[in-house]
Formats: sequence, structure tokens, C-alpha cells
Amino acid sequence: MTKLPPGRFARLALKVNAFLLIAFVLAGAFIGLVAYKQGWFLHQSPIHFITPNALGLNKGMPVKLHGFTVGSVADMQLTDGGVDVTLLIMGDYMKRLPQGSRARHAREAGVIGASVIDIVPGPGPMALAEGALIQFEPARGITEIVDDFRRQAIPAFTELKQAMGQVTQAGHDITQILAGLRHEVDQLPATHRAARKLIEEATTATADLTFQTTATLDAVERVAATMEHAVPMLSEKLASGIDSIDAAAGQMKKTGEEAQLTLKSARPLLDKSESAAREANDVLTAAKRVWPLSDSFKDSGDGMLPIDSFEAHGKGTAR
Amino acid sequence: MRRMLVALVVLAATACAAPKPPSEPLAKSRLMEAEARAAALARAGDYAGAARFYGDAVRLATALENADAIAANAINLSVVQQWLGHNDEARAALAAILDNPRTPFSERRKLQAELRRAILELSVNNIGAAAIWIGQAERRCTNLSCEYAATLLNVRAQVELESAHAADAERLALAAAERARTNPSEMANALRTLGRARQAQGQPRNAIEPLQQALSLDRDLGDPRKILADLSELSRAADAAGDTRAARDYRERGLAVSRAMSDGKSTAEMEALLRR
Repeated sequence: MTKLPPGRFARLALKVNAFLLIAFVLAGAFIGLVAYKQGWFLHQSPIHFITPNALGLNKGMPVKLHGFTVGSVADMQLTDGGVDVTLLIMGDYMKRLPQGSRARHAREAGVIGASVIDIVPGPGPMALAEGALIQFEPARGITEIVDDFRRQAIPAFTELKQAMGQVTQAGHDITQILAGLRHEVDQLPATHRAARKLIEEATTATADLTFQTTATLDAVERVAATMEHAVPMLSEKLASGIDSIDAAAGQMKKTGEEAQLTLKSARPLLDKSESAAREANDVLTAAKRVWPLSDSFKDSGDGMLPIDSFEAHGKGTAR
Repeated sequence: MRRMLVALVVLAATACAAPKPPSEPLAKSRLMEAEARAAALARAGDYAGAARFYGDAVRLATALENADAIAANAINLSVVQQWLGHNDEARAALAAILDNPRTPFSERRKLQAELRRAILELSVNNIGAAAIWIGQAERRCTNLSCEYAATLLNVRAQVELESAHAADAERLALAAAERARTNPSEMANALRTLGRARQAQGQPRNAIEPLQQALSLDRDLGDPRKILADLSELSRAADAAGDTRAARDYRERGLAVSRAMSDGKSTAEMEALLRR
């Protein structure tokens, strides 16, 4: 048997006891810390509610007030009316729960996310008493959500059906209106060309007018000599010009009235795009009838060069 | 809440009712581009460029079997080729319609093509061919009540005038003027032909008034070729009527227009008339 050196195990029992004591203290401190963290040293007030169905509820589930954790689900007991769920509210948070508060089963991020018990504060002036029984609102299932939507949507669909019926009766089928709008949009390049042609013609006319004015000033003497002959013709032209202006004004007034009637007949149930489509169509149609633009719209149809009998004149071939 | 739902559902229904239009096929968009470019070049006076793009448009329309586009672009091509003085090419362009029985062209396009062919033949003095084509076109224009009635009558009047049937030409020109009330270009053509027909019948004094009216209309229309033609006819009529001063005035004005147009042939003719 090996002989141990003297003094090596002196006071061994003391050392072992000290080690055990330190280990015990550390374990106790750890347990105490955990207990502190778990709120075992805080005063917790129980409140409870009874639910006919405790599906989705678990012990330890956090209880939140305004999104802040104020307690947890402490116990669940089966009773005659369903399940009695006990909530433990920590510290002084109890005084922040007024009478009439109710609990509801919610999720932290909408449909998905962790389940919590959300306390909805009540209107009462006094705080809830310890052990108070509060109301509980179970979470809505997808079936209930769909049912609720259906309940709200059915009247809406009925109104929609009525609105579509009115539109059809009025002879303003949305598809036709949109098709008409699309047709007008397709015509926009041609319209653009016609407008450009109109502008070019206006420019030419202006240039001609300028030229003629200059020529007229240069030839004042000659015009004066023929004035007596020209005055009656000028009067006739002026009269016909005034008639034309009158006719144009009448046409513009008619167009304005038509546009006004169109606006009045716009149905409030139709949404903005449909209204815009119809109004744009009406404005385009009305614009086509207005005197200065009517010829341009008429001629812009197929982009054809003029078929002019003058080209048959031999000398007129080359331009 | 309910109103919002109604609005949302109506919006959704509207969106469904207007399906997204399919994107334009490449060949179709190229056809439209060629037509647009040709029209722009024709407006700008670049007839050679316009002819090139109208030719492209005819080829693209043929590839797409688009009868109306083939006809429209072929007719436009014939017009610009004639402006360029390329009468054979202009005739070939019209052959795409007139010699193509398999493609279902509309009656209107066929009438346009036949009318163009008659104009083309008459411009090169093929009076017999012009009479045949104008007869074909007239058969498509029931009771001469179609949109081209005035043009048809004007071409027919010119055919009669070139065939030395001045009285018939006068009658047809008057009928053309009657139908051209809303078409100032054909109205001016009818009045010019009327003036020529009266002069051909030895009535130069009666010719001057319609020719002056034609000149007035053509100045409003702003086509120097027509203004030059009116001034030439007026100078001849005034000469024949014995009004040498007026005839000289018309000739000098015609010469100025011709020089401004840089039209060498017309200028030479006018100068020859002035030297008389």
C-alpha cells in the first residue's frame, strides 16, 4: 500500500465542507435569480374568465395590456360552463385594469404570430379587484371571418347588381363605353395628324393673309378705283360671314348643352374611371361636331393622298 | 364600409371588362410606322422618300394579307410616283389592285384605283385607255352619287375635251361643278375645264369668268400648279377675246409663279407666249 506524504490531507474535511457550501450558495443564488426573473418574489393578483372553448390557450401564455406584458396564464380548470382560466397580473399593473375590462385571444402579428391574451381596458373608474371574473372574447376562426365578410359583401353585391342593371337599362354598357374609349384612343394618332394638318393650314392661311395684306396696302390706289364695284360684294360676303359665325355659335352652344346633359346623366355609382371614359367619349364626340374640327375629323380617316382630277391635266403631273 | 366595398367591386369589374390590349405585332407596327413616315415625307415634299416608304407599306400589308392597307398604300404610291413623273411605276402600283382578283378589295378601293388609273392614262394622253378606266369606275359609282362623283365627272369632261367633244365636256364640267359644292378642289377643276371647253367652242369671253373663279379658288387652296394652269388658260382666253393687255398681265403673273416654282418647262412656255 502506498504511503501518503504527511500534511497533504490536513484539514481535508474543512476544505470539502467549504466547497460544498460555496456550491450550495451558488445554486441557491441561481435559483433565486431565476425565481426573481420569473416574478416569484412579486405580488401577483389573480383574475379569471370562463370560456366555453379553450382551444389555443396554454399555461404560461403572456397576458398583454396595450402590447406590454403584464402577466401570464397561471392555471386552467375544467368547470361546468367550460374552462376556467386564471390569469396572474404582476405587481402594480392590477390598478391599470379598470372594471369592465375584458380579455381576448389575439395574435401578435395579425393572423400569424404568437398567441397572447390581450386585455382590453374597460370604461370603469375603479380598478379590478383580485380574483375578479372578466369577459372573454375567443379568437375568430377563418370560417367566422368568411361568414362576416359574406354578411357585409352580400348587400354590396346586391347594390352592384342594381347599379349594373341601371347602367344596362340606360344603354350605357361599360364594355361598350370602354371599347368606344379604346377606339377613340386608337384614333388619337390620326387625330394628332389632323390637328397638325389643321395647324399647318392655319399657318399657311396666316402667311397668305399677311401676304395679301401687304399686297393690298401696295395696291390701295387700284382698290380705291374699284371700291364702288367691290362694296356690294363685300357686304354680301360680310353677311354670309356673320351667318356662318352665328351658325358656329349656335353649334357650340348646342355642344355645350349636350356636354352639360352628359355630365348630369353621369351616375354617382359608377367609379371615376368609368365616368372619365364616358366623359372623354362625349367630349370627343362633341368636339367632332364643333365647326372648326369637324372637317379635320372627317378627312383623317384613312390617310389617303388626294385623288385629284387635276392630275389628269398633262402639265400638272410633276409637283 | 359598404360603399367602399361597392366602389372596390365596381373598380374590379371595370378592370375585368377592359382586358389588357395585346401588344401590337411587330409587322403591324412596322406597317403603321411605314405609313406614317411616307405621309410625313409626302407632306414635306420628299416624294422619292415617300414612294420608298409607301412601297414598304404595300409589301408589309401584303405579308399581313391586309387588303385595305394594300389598296390604300398602292394608291398613295401611284400618286407620288406620278408626282415624280414615273408613270410606269405609278401604273405598276395600281396593278397591285386592278390585276389582283384573289384579294378581296372593297368596292370603294377598286373605284379609287380605277379612277387613279384613268387620271394617269389621261395625263399621258392615252385617251382611249382613260375612257375605259373611267367607265369602269363610273359603274361602281351608282347614279354618280358616290363621294367621287365630282372627280369622275371632271375626268370624263377632260376625256371628252381631249376627244374634241367640247360641248359634252362643258355639260359634264357643269355637272361636276354641281356635285363639287363641298369640294373646292374639284370645284376649281370643274370651272377650269368649263373655261377650256367654252374656249374650245370659240367662246373665249364666256370662258374668262369660270377661269377667274377657278383661279380664286386655287389661290385659296394654295396650289401653285393649279394657279399656273389657271393663269395660262386665262391668258389664252383673254388673247382670243382680243384683250391683249389682260392677256399680257396674266402671262407675266404666270411667269412669276412659274419662276417661283422653278418649273423650267412652264417658264419656257410662258416666255414663248410673252414673245408673241
